[in-house]
Order: sequence, then C-alpha cells, then structure tokens
Amino acid sequence: MSEFALFVGCVIANRFPHIEKSGRIMLKNLNINVNDIPEFNCCPNPTGILQISNEAWTVSAAHNLCLAEEKGLDILTFCNGCYETLKSTNVELKHDSELKEKVNKALAKVGKEYKGNIKVVHFLEYIYKNITPEKLKETVQRPLDNLRIATFYGCHYGRPSSLLNFDDPLRPVSLDEVVEAMGATSVEYLNKYTCCGSAISGIDEESQLKLLKDKLEQVERVKADCICVICPACYMQLDGNQRKLNSKYGTNFNIPILYLTELIALAQGVQEAELGLNFHSIKVKELLTKF
Amino acid sequence: MISSEFRKEISQTDIGKTINYCYQCGTCAGICPAFRVNSNYNPRRLVEEILLGFKEKLLHDKNIWLCTTCHGCLEVCPQGVMVSEMLFELRHKAVEVGNIPESIREEGVRFSQTGLNIPPSAAIGRRREKLGLNAQIMTPIVENIKILLEEVDFFKLIENKNQEAESNE
Repeated sequence: MSEFALFVGCVIANRFPHIEKSGRIMLKNLNINVNDIPEFNCCPNPTGILQISNEAWTVSAAHNLCLAEEKGLDILTFCNGCYETLKSTNVELKHDSELKEKVNKALAKVGKEYKGNIKVVHFLEYIYKNITPEKLKETVQRPLDNLRIATFYGCHYGRPSSLLNFDDPLRPVSLDEVVEAMGATSVEYLNKYTCCGSAISGIDEESQLKLLKDKLEQVERVKADCICVICPACYMQLDGNQRKLNSKYGTNFNIPILYLTELIALAQGVQEAELGLNFHSIKVKELLTKF
Repeated sequence: MISSEFRKEISQTDIGKTINYCYQCGTCAGICPAFRVNSNYNPRRLVEEILLGFKEKLLHDKNIWLCTTCHGCLEVCPQGVMVSEMLFELRHKAVEVGNIPESIREEGVRFSQTGLNIPPSAAIGRRREKLGLNAQIMTPIVENIKILLEEVDFFKLIENKNQEAESNE
C-alpha cells in the first residue's frame, strides 16, 4: 500500500467538497492510503499570489513542503494549481542551492527548514504512471461503455514542462488513456488543449466567457456526453459558468462536467448519492443512464 | 518616455534574460488564448515593447493583466524565451507601482489574513458534514504565513492604491 499526505487545496475543500469526497473514495478503492495535514496553507495560487510576488509564492509553498517533510510523506494533490505550485517549488529548491538558502533563512523565522526529501504527485500522474491504466481497469465494476468523453487537461498539469516534466505539455495523453481503460471513448475536438479562461475571471469577464463558449461549442459539435476535468478551476469555469454563459449569449449549453475522481468512483460501482453529484450546477442524472 | 535600461532590468533573472533571444516571430501570439479573444493582449507585442524600452507605458497598462497564465507561449517559443514567466516579472514590477487588478489584490489580502485563497464558510462546512467529511480540512498556521510574508515584503504590495488604478481609466 502506498502512503501520501493528501493536499486537497482550498478550492476543492471550501467550494467543491463533493470532488474531495469522490477522490477519497477512489483512493481507498485503489489501496492508496492518505493522511491529512490540517496545517497546510493555500498552495498558494499560481494564477494569483505568484503574479504578485515570486518570493511570497515560493516561501509559502515551501512552508507546505516542510509540513509534509516533517511527517516523512510525499504529497498527492487533486488540483492542477496546487500541483504546479508545489511541484515547481520542490524541483526549483532541489536544484537551486542559492534559492534554497534564501528560502530557509525565511523559514527559520517560523522554526522550519526545507530539506528536499519528498516528492509531489498529481493524482492522475500517479494513477497513470504507478497504478497504470491496466490495473485501474481491474477495479472497474461498472464500465463506462458507450460514454463519449471530451477530456480536458487544463494548463497547469503539464506546463511549464521544464519543471513539471511528466506528460507532453502540448499534447498530453494520460487522461485519454485512463478514461478509455474504463470503457469510455475519448473523442477528439478542436480547442481541446486551449485554456478554459478561468484565471481571468474578475479581470476580463467577456474574454473569460468567450473562451468558455469556444470550448463548449466544439464539445457540442462532436456530441460528447460530458467533459472530464482534473482541475477545480476548470471545473468552476465549465460547470459553474455554463448557465451564466447561456443567459448572457442566449446559448443553450447543457454539458455535464465530471471530475476524473467522480468518473473513476462511478466506474468502481460507487452510488451517485454517496458522491454528492447533486451539487453539480449542470445536472448529471441523464448521463448516468447512458452506461 | 523611453527607458533603454528597462530591457536590462527585466534581464536580471535567469528567466528574464531569455527575452534577449526574441526575434519577434509571433509564435507566442499564435498559441495565446487571451490574444485569440482580446487583441489588447499580445505577448509578442509586450516583448517588443519591453525591448524598445516602453517602461512607463507597460508598468501602468492594465492590459498586461489579461494573460490566462496557460504557459502555452513558453512551450512553443522556438528561441526558448520563457515568455509567460518573463511577463510575470513585468507584472511584479507593475504591482510595485500599484498596477494590480482588484481581484488579485483581494486574493493577496485574503491569503495574508487566512492562509487560504478560498476560506471556509458555514454553508460549505454543513455541506462537507452532509458528505461525511470533516467540517474543516485546512486550518493553516496563519501566524507563520504572516511572518513569512513579512519577511519577503509582501504587505506593501497589497496596500490599496486604488487612486492610481482610477487615474489610469
């Protein structure tokens, strides 16, 4: 059995706890044991705090890394943003002794020291590399046969590749292979690798909604049953803003957005009520009758 | 006013100095989702304006904040310019003169006060319990965060400088 410190992240924990619920069930079914570290702070956000100050971002991320190091645990995240922040910082600190010295000088003020002896993984990265799609398939009790899924990776799963260095930064494949292993068909669509636009909410709402519209139009064109995401910011944009888009542009989109953790739990035979799927903005009831 | 030093200021870090390899091909603009939907954001042009020394214009320009942070430009640049991250450094300099979107500034304030971007609420706490989860899962050591942020001079960056923002309308 593998053992991790679970980094839920504040968007999932305090906005979409149903994603956390499905994630925990999925991990249990995969025999992955996770420990909570309640002292974790926000990663912090690579689209927010990092744009204000590199130093503040790095030192706050290093604080999280120290908390996991103290428990001797690698970190597993459910969120692309947390993954980018924690893994990037971990890699940079491991390879830049000057930066490490500077960060440790600040950390000393709160009685911490970054050592560099743990790893950070994204839950999809771990499923793809360590569990493998084949083994995942063995845990499937209710195959996703007949489901046509538009996968969407988000941006911070693979970029910047110099630091994250896992799946292809522009044409990743891991999510497609994982949903196909569960019996679904991953459908190709235009704009598949284009940003959802979530990060400019609050700055340029019109552009934010245009990017959402572009994506949903293409997904509708190929008649996908749902979009599968691995990032809560993408989830917030695609699920939470679909109705807003409809009322603003007179469109009629009704595309369910499933988090990969939810799809895996469903495929593992978990009942929908247990997952809190009723908390989705775009309802998923009809989707559940298709497989 | 043109500042011939601005290019050097941006080139001070490992990321920043990659700007000197730019030959203005525009591949970054080609992949940029922000540019696709709003031509006020053009990464190629921002690089050009840094190289030409349009320091004052750039530091007070609200459009530099339209980036979606997708990092596509950084991956496709044939010259290895770390476009998106180098432009983060431009934004850091803009923040120092008070050019920061209110939503980002508020996030900075929230983080410095709670250690979180999305703090817990009573309603979500109830929802979490309904789902069989602990009412709260992230309870950061806020004191530590405040000390660390003080160490890196963060607080002066998130002071309310709205007057500057309004005069830029």
